[in-house]
Formats: sequence, structure tokens, C-alpha cells
Amino acid sequence: MTEPAPELLIEVLRGDRARRPRRDDARAAGLRASLEDHVFEIFGPPRRETPVVVSSATLRGSGHGFELFDSTLSRARGHVISTAFRLLVAHVHVEDPYDDALGAWRGERPDDELLSVIAHLDDDQVARLRADVTSHFATLTKGLGPIPSSWWPRTSQRARQLLGGGNVQLRDVVDLVVGSTHHEVASVALVDITTSPLGAGAERVMRFHALMQTLRTSVVPLRTSIFSSATGELWTLDVDAELLMRAVGDVVETLTRVGASS
Amino acid sequence: MSSLVQRRLTPRDVGELIDAAPVDVALMSEEHRASLASRFRAVPIPDHRRLDAWMVEQAGRPPGPFAWSPVTVRRILGNNAARRVMRTPDTILNAVRDELADQLLRAVKGYARPGSLGHWLAGVSHPVLGLITAEAINWATQTLQCAEGLDHEWRIASSDVYYDVAGARTTLRGRRDVVVDTDSGRVIIRIRSGQPGKSAGPGLRSDLVVETLAHREGLAPRRYLGLWPDAGLVLGVDGSMENVRAGARDFVRAAVAQRRHGVDRAA
Repeated sequence: MTEPAPELLIEVLRGDRARRPRRDDARAAGLRASLEDHVFEIFGPPRRETPVVVSSATLRGSGHGFELFDSTLSRARGHVISTAFRLLVAHVHVEDPYDDALGAWRGERPDDELLSVIAHLDDDQVARLRADVTSHFATLTKGLGPIPSSWWPRTSQRARQLLGGGNVQLRDVVDLVVGSTHHEVASVALVDITTSPLGAGAERVMRFHALMQTLRTSVVPLRTSIFSSATGELWTLDVDAELLMRAVGDVVETLTRVGASS
Repeated sequence: MSSLVQRRLTPRDVGELIDAAPVDVALMSEEHRASLASRFRAVPIPDHRRLDAWMVEQAGRPPGPFAWSPVTVRRILGNNAARRVMRTPDTILNAVRDELADQLLRAVKGYARPGSLGHWLAGVSHPVLGLITAEAINWATQTLQCAEGLDHEWRIASSDVYYDVAGARTTLRGRRDVVVDTDSGRVIIRIRSGQPGKSAGPGLRSDLVVETLAHREGLAPRRYLGLWPDAGLVLGVDGSMENVRAGARDFVRAAVAQRRHGVDRAA
């Protein structure tokens, strides 16, 4: 963990350019092989009827049981903030974060179940959700800073990896990815925006994003960050071999639990 | 058996797939075209028929009603924006905005017919336009990232390819995003979301056959590559006569299945 809260996210992502390591495009194969070995040890050769799905949400909650963000309203709030964040990164003027994000969400997925949950909230619940979203958005805009278009920002970047012949599926969505994998030095940074306060699960999420990005592009990213719109906290980790091996360990631990219970 | 090659999606692997693509490729003669047309004519339907790789992958099941959304427009706007960036260096954000402005201008001038992209864009709210911008930026960035590391000359395809089967009221559509020009012929790249499924091979062969039919001389590309950046995978089919034939057969099968579904629905 390197950065205290008050600094702008973009400053943290930029870091010291002179100290960036060389691009590492040799590590992904080893990580994949290690994951495959563990999956085989846990599940063996038989093909499962349905794959075990591991996502950042799985890892965030590991060992902590049922948390606040599991509730439907918290998920709705998370999606609204995530959508508002996408608008911000695209340099779109956001007049009212609640109305604008909800409008964009409806345009994207009009049949989303969560939207119908929101549509059926009573006035008091809507007012509370609106206030909540406005507060999170204010924290987000204050901590983010303008993301330069020249950084090639992409939002809600998805990744999927099948392991063990389809027995395990790793899924990930990173809120913001900046930088290119083609530079001589590592220059890709990952950012997760969460509406929850940062806890032990947040570190696992950061590691998981780094692992998935490495498997997706076969290039190790420079750093992985997580920003809480609840508290304004920002955590950032430089990605190295040790962090990636710990991410593999996190995934294996989750799979072992699933393997033991099935 | 037609072959399907699979590699990790890295510039090196994609480069090797391009370099190692076969030079001897299929050539579709007038005889081949006539034979294909007769097969489609043997599967008559009351309306004009449109087939593409998606329908082959879905075994001819009719797609649901089409609706524009930030996800369905991202490829068109994203590729157009990427082409703009290649032509006139600028940020991808500006290129997407320019592309949106062009579409809206078309609608304002009355050139956009109802149901078209421009017409739809003219009616969406400001926040939805924002999300469309975000999706198009994602697509353009991803496309340029996939192509940037290639050693060969490449260009963003100006459009998909279409082939009208003579006398069979059938239009075939092949999707393509990047065209790589090598000394020994072209390699076509298609970029897709998610991860490749079991029908990814037939899908690629379908695109291959349309690309071949739409070529002025009926010359197949050396290889057709499908890139799945989400999964970090690339799959490819060679431009062999075997693959072109298999692709054509899959299209005819899809037409038969499509007609059967139509008959079932009518019953």
C-alpha cells in the first residue's frame, strides 16, 4: 500500500515514470500453468456439469460471510456509481449523477432486474438512494481528477479465463484500465471503484485484477488500485511476481473451499 | 477435416499466425458460385434472407428483434473512430465524438432513415450518448491495441463484406475489423467479445466464405483470425478450399434450419 487518501488518483497512476520496470511478457504462461495444476489437484479430470465461477466479488467476500454490499440496493448503488464513473472518464458532463447514471443504465440494459427493483422503491427509499449516490459521486469526482484521453482509458473492461477444461471460469470486470501493453516499460494501470469501505477483501480484489489482466494480455500490468467512493480511500500496489503468486494463492484458496464443499 | 488454430492473443503469436498463413488459397470460380446459388434456391423462403456467422453459430435459430444500444453500436462507431485516428492522429475520445457528430448531422439533414443508427442516436438522451461514447472508446482502443503490435501493414476495414447470392434472395454478411496486407495476400481479423465457444470455428469459416465470395476475383484470404481479447485468445482458419466449402455448407445448413424455424413458428 503506497498512497494516502488526499492525492488525486491520476497522480498515483502516473507515479514516477523513470522508475517503471521493463515490460514483463514472460510471466503469464507460468501463472496459467500453476493455476491449471491446482485446478487439476482440486477437481481432478472429471468434467463438472457447471463450472465453478470465481470473480472479484467472490474474492472480496472470501471469509467474511454476507456483507452489506450483497444487498440488492447496495448492488444498485454500485451499478449507478459505476455508470456515472464511465461517464466521467468519457468526459461527459454529469448534471445529476443519480438521474444521468440511471438514464444511461436504462439505455444500456432496459430489462435489467435491478432497474425494476429501483422502479418499485417508495419515495423515501429513492430519496435515500439518491442522496447516497450524490455523496459517493462527490467523493469520486474529488479523488479522481481528469483522466487524459491520451492514456487510452477504457472502462468496465471484461476478462474471462477457462481453466481445467472448463471446470473453472475466472471472470473479472475492471472499472478503469489505462495505458498500453506495447510500451517497452510496464505502463498499464488498473482501477477498481468500490462503494464499500476498503477492507481485507479489497487487497484480494486488487491482486485478482492484476492476475486477470496478466492472463488476458500476457503482459504484467504496472499497478493496481482500488478507490472507495464511501470513504475516499485509495490503495495502490505495484504489480510484481510476488503479488501475482499471492493472487494465484487467493484463487486456489477459494477453489479449495468450493472443492471441499462439493 | 478443416483445421482451427488457437494461440494466446499476443502480438508475437498473432504475428506468427500471419507469417505462417498458407500462401496457396482457395479461388471461387463462377462454377462454385452457381453451385452455391442452386443450393440456396433449393431452400426457398417467402422473404429476403440474410445470413451471417452469428446465425451459423446459433444453428439457424432466428435472432431476437434487433435494438440499438450502447453495446450494439460500439463496433460501428469504434471502428469508424479508429479509422479516423489512423487517418488524422487525434485522441480516440475526439474521434468518437466526431463520428457521433457526423451521425447526428446525417439525421438532422434528413439522410438517416427511420431505424438507422443516426436516427436512433438523434433520439437518445445525453447520458445514453455518454455511455455510447464510453463503449465506442473501449472498442476503438481495443481494436487499435490488437493491431498496433503487428509488423505488417494493416488498416481498419471500411465496412463488413456482403455477398448477394444470385437468384436466391439471399444476402450473406461477413464481419471484419482489421485487414492485414502481406506480400502474399491478405489476412482478415475479426474482434469479438467474451470467450470463444464450440461454434467459434464454424463462425470463422462463415466469415471466410463471405470474404472470399465478395472478393472481385473470388480469392480467399490467407487466414481469417478471430480475436477474443476478453479471453486473451486468437483462433484462426486457413483460406483453404476445404474451409471455404465447409463455411458454405454451414450457411446452407443454417438456411435450412432457418426455414424450419419459420415453418414451426407459422404452425
